Amino acid sequence: MIEPIWQTPLQQQVFRQLLDAYSYPGKVQTLADTLPAAAYHALLATLLDGTSSLCDRDGLLEATQWPLLQAQPAPLSTARFILCDGAQAADFTPLLGTLTDPEQSATLLLAVASIGSGAQALRLRGPGIQQETTLELAGLHPSWLAQRADWCCHFPLGVDCLLTDTQRRFVAIPRTTQLEVC
Amino acid sequence: MSTATDYPFGFLDSYAKKEVRRTVLKAIAIPGYQVPYSSREMPMGRGFGTGGLQLTLSLIGEGETLKVIDQGSDDSVNAVNLRHFIELTCPSINTTTRTQEATLIQSRHRIPEQPLREDQVLVLQVPYPDPLVIVEPSETRRKVMHGEADYSRLLVKLYEDLVHFKEITISHRYPTRINGHYVIDPSPIPRYDVPKLHQSPALLLFGAGREKKVYAVPPYTLAEPLVFDDVPFRTEDFTDRVSGERRACQRCGSRDSFLDEFSDPNTGGKVYQCSDSDYCTQQQEQAHGE
Repeated sequence: MIEPIWQTPLQQQVFRQLLDAYSYPGKVQTLADTLPAAAYHALLATLLDGTSSLCDRDGLLEATQWPLLQAQPAPLSTARFILCDGAQAADFTPLLGTLTDPEQSATLLLAVASIGSGAQALRLRGPGIQQETTLELAGLHPSWLAQRADWCCHFPLGVDCLLTDTQRRFVAIPRTTQLEVC
Repeated sequence: MSTATDYPFGFLDSYAKKEVRRTVLKAIAIPGYQVPYSSREMPMGRGFGTGGLQLTLSLIGEGETLKVIDQGSDDSVNAVNLRHFIELTCPSINTTTRTQEATLIQSRHRIPEQPLREDQVLVLQVPYPDPLVIVEPSETRRKVMHGEADYSRLLVKLYEDLVHFKEITISHRYPTRINGHYVIDPSPIPRYDVPKLHQSPALLLFGAGREKKVYAVPPYTLAEPLVFDDVPFRTEDFTDRVSGERRACQRCGSRDSFLDEFSDPNTGGKVYQCSDSDYCTQQQEQAHGE
């Protein structure tokens, strides 16, 4: 029996949730019960293959998971996918893409304590959002918001963020979303 | 002889799907930007909707309800062939012709008349993804122009039209600016469909298989056709110059749909009919129900 995380029908479902998350930033997604509680596992398994590069800054993955993900290990400055503990400060600059190739930029997966409820509240505006929406969460180091604002201030350059928690929830904040702490 | 069951669900292997999926997410994150991808060989010629097909096959899952349309019709040759191929390679999906029942819609050259919802995704087949190709042959230079949102030469082209013809003569593939930056070729949809891109509740994806590009108009996003302040954007109005009335569909009588023009083989005169065959059928059903 293959673990659910590697089953292609489940990966298709996770992808459709990712599609929904990117289409409607701030909309909280909940993964299927059979998937691991830390949501980034399923997201990485769905997105990565041998052609992707990954940096696990805070050692959230176990060594045994790397061969299964197939992703190439890369430093923070060149990785196309970066997995971080969101409670730790943002202390680097990821790939932001170039003016002609803005898609060659990093996707950040930030593991936080809770999504959909928590002490921190963000107001979101931008494509995919009618007027505005709010997102509650807990466990995100405030430096990420300041850094992200810097990284995304020159559209089309920027980074796309996926926030994940340990109750199978995740939310997408693509580069076009304007964030405000409320 | 190989059978359909020899292929994985959705025909494409998981590496191909993953690449398309990563590309689609980037396309949504950078609205209107043409994200390059390695368009796979499909068992049909490039230019027959392979870009849209690869998107559909990468998105589709068990229990999905799919609608495939070609120029508004569920029964024309491109739609029938693509639907048949998807049914063959995705055994556990349902297909429908009714727009409101579909969760995933692949379309060639039309956006359905019925308003789309948040739980639906529309995939459009694109022959020519780059609106700048008419003014700049080099892709390297076009990419710089797109990055800088420099569409001055495209506006000059539109201005030349106004000088020559007193009218912007683009009937379909009307250049449309997405979220205030990138200008897209919205695929050969008529002008009538361009306003449906603006603040659409549903995600709109564009796949160009031959040109190896994917782009997106996310939901609730600005989509403005390129125009001048003093020359507003016009869509087809279907007004009969003689009677002054808007023409009606000869089948269902609708006066608010996009019409195709046919010539009547008996009289030689012109007749008009809804381009969206599902909309037309549903209008007739409603009329009979009353």
